[in-house]
Amino acid sequence: MSIFHNPEDSSKPYKEPTPLPDDVPKVKELGTTSAPLKSAAFFIGAHCKEYNEDFMLCKNENRDPAHCLKEGRRVTRCAQDMITKMRENCLQEWDKHWNCLELNNHEYYMCRKPERTLNKCMFEKLTIPGTPEGQTPIHEVKRPVFTGVQK
Amino acid sequence: MPVPWEALIPFGLVTTMFAAAGTLLNVSKRAQNQGKPVRYHIDAWDEMMMDRDKRLTGHKRGQSTNPYAPEGFETSSIWYTERVETS
Repeated sequence: MSIFHNPEDSSKPYKEPTPLPDDVPKVKELGTTSAPLKSAAFFIGAHCKEYNEDFMLCKNENRDPAHCLKEGRRVTRCAQDMITKMRENCLQEWDKHWNCLELNNHEYYMCRKPERTLNKCMFEKLTIPGTPEGQTPIHEVKRPVFTGVQK
Repeated sequence: MPVPWEALIPFGLVTTMFAAAGTLLNVSKRAQNQGKPVRYHIDAWDEMMMDRDKRLTGHKRGQSTNPYAPEGFETSSIWYTERVETS
């Protein structure tokens, strides 16, 4: 019988047996990992709202992967654009916030303090997601339900 | 009257051993998670994201803010790979 060779141990690069045709534009995937992405989630949502909704409605019509390639490329490019803008403008505050999230099981309520500085920096330099009408922003709520320490 | 201090040695030993075992466990868990506390209440979404982190950075707790993925990322998902062909 054949011996199993682990692909991770091979010395040659992986050659894809069925690459996409050349008329499909090539877009690099988003390289941001889970904690920075969770930290930037609401900003990406505000910045890329139209493209995300477009993609979601397109997928709603037809789940075939080939149907929504164009909208998917637009979503990826928009997210990459937002990440690049955040890195240029608010890198320190963003780093503090996602490092705090990494230490706290990715819970937003444990990291309100770095979140306030990040929101302030993003408000001054770029966009900020809007709060629903009549409600205070979550980082300014006086007596939150979930806190780090039970009060 | 002499205090029977030898009788307190087992208490001290048991306390020390508890502390040592607990510390060793904590250090071992933190070392497996790159010095960070362990992730708990992980659901299917978190499993998927941590697997993606492993494909992007090499470790399931590794993080990066790079907007572009490294070279082999598009083809490293185990969903599609049945047989590996090398050039």
